[in-house]
Amino acid sequence: MTQITNLLPGTPPKNGKSVVAAIGSNQYLVGILSVAAFFAVWQAVSMNVPPIILPAPAQVIAAFVQLTASGELVRATGQTVWPFAVGLILAFIVGTILGLLLGIFRPVARILDPYIFVFWSIPNIAWLPLFIAWFGVGQLTLIVFVFVSAVFPQLLTVESGAREADSFLVEVARSLGGTKREILHIVVLPSALPYIFAGLRIAVGRALVGIIVGQLLIVATGIGYMFQFYGETLSLAKYFAPLIVIAALAVLLNRAVNWAEQILIPWKPRAFT
Amino acid sequence: MPELEFVNVRKSYQSPTGENLLALADFSLQVGGGRFVTVVGPSGCGKTTLLRMAAGLISSDSGQIRLDGAVLKSPSPKMSMVFQGIGLLPWKSVESNVALGIQLQAHRRRLGDKEVALVDATLAMVGLKGFERYYPHQLSGGMQQRVGLARALVRQPEILLMDEPFGALDAQTRTVLQDELLTLWGRVKSTVLFITHDLEEAIYLSDMVVIMSRRPGRIKQVLEVRLPRPRASYDARAEKEFARLRSTAWQSIKEEL
Repeated sequence: MTQITNLLPGTPPKNGKSVVAAIGSNQYLVGILSVAAFFAVWQAVSMNVPPIILPAPAQVIAAFVQLTASGELVRATGQTVWPFAVGLILAFIVGTILGLLLGIFRPVARILDPYIFVFWSIPNIAWLPLFIAWFGVGQLTLIVFVFVSAVFPQLLTVESGAREADSFLVEVARSLGGTKREILHIVVLPSALPYIFAGLRIAVGRALVGIIVGQLLIVATGIGYMFQFYGETLSLAKYFAPLIVIAALAVLLNRAVNWAEQILIPWKPRAFT
Repeated sequence: MPELEFVNVRKSYQSPTGENLLALADFSLQVGGGRFVTVVGPSGCGKTTLLRMAAGLISSDSGQIRLDGAVLKSPSPKMSMVFQGIGLLPWKSVESNVALGIQLQAHRRRLGDKEVALVDATLAMVGLKGFERYYPHQLSGGMQQRVGLARALVRQPEILLMDEPFGALDAQTRTVLQDELLTLWGRVKSTVLFITHDLEEAIYLSDMVVIMSRRPGRIKQVLEVRLPRPRASYDARAEKEFARLRSTAWQSIKEEL
């Protein structure tokens, strides 16, 4: 029991005996140590395998700098970010609005839900050839593909959020004289807000997969194409550069969503901080 | 003074097995005149059903509920309900939750200066000054119910409907809130229709205690409580008359358990 409590963040170490606990209580130290350990393991492994399997950290950093300086990485990032952003934003707007409507107007939802579920269940990669046939090989196909990847998780999460508004709170508002419209505004929408963020978190992940797969398989541009090109030519040091960009983008977006959530949902008590 | 009347009210529910459960049968009662009336009865006797009908949340199968002689069909701005579950909106501050009592009554988003002042005064009245910007989850259960009370009182209701408002609170907090409720009632002069299963609470608070039979709920006995007010000024619970009433009420209820 004492060992478990010692490992919880912020718990002071008992009698200073446990080194793990002492280090664990300092978040910055944990961060630095973890990064150092990561690079050490990477370095160690790369010294024992051919560079074609795993390049050393220094090689990867050099390749990253070179690709950035030549402008290639920046250009590719730009080519990736904009169709990604357009597709994701459209998916967020459409998914949120449709999700709210379907969550509130249940008779309509009962008709549409099965279709939505079937479309959502189809692995999105299966749509790609169809989209190429419909929209050609270009940015439009990429945007549509990102949109389709992201819109369903957004829609379904928001729908369940709007549906699960607390019926007791609705009753209280009704007893105070609230009209249907007022109740939607003061009870249903705020209850759905956490779900809008939960949906967005999944949608961001799906949209990232969508844009990379799209660029890798159809429109030979951007980060996706860099993966394909440097993967096929076995230039592994360079292959890691777009990987770093994508990881950074994912982390950044997740942070942004968390931040927006804390600003917009100040009432939510958080069980774990 | 406005009167709330139940006239031959009947209400049944569908049980999960499809049976028809008669919750209330031919229930008639009049409350008004600024009196404090409490309904007690065994659980399942339809007390809460009664209050929910008065609040306009559900309708009766037959019979009428009238307010000042007019048949009541939907929630009336002249009444406010206080719930055991309180039902504060977690995303609104204490102040905004109380303001909601007026906003939903008047169907307006923004409050005028007078109404803002009324919200402030009501908050002060229930002892929530300084807590205006708190969120409900930052308050104790007793404080939350004070907000619930303020939300009801800010509407300046002629009739206050209270459905076991202190049922979920600990004994000390409950006693404190009972006295506060009596003080507030003395000031606002609304008629109160109160539901509880706690006999002592019923006797301590009320002018009149209505004892209901088991399901289907009917009025079994009515007790007038003539203990002088303010009851907090002496130990009303220790009075002989209090003990006599409690014993009578208990005998009556016991037969229904």
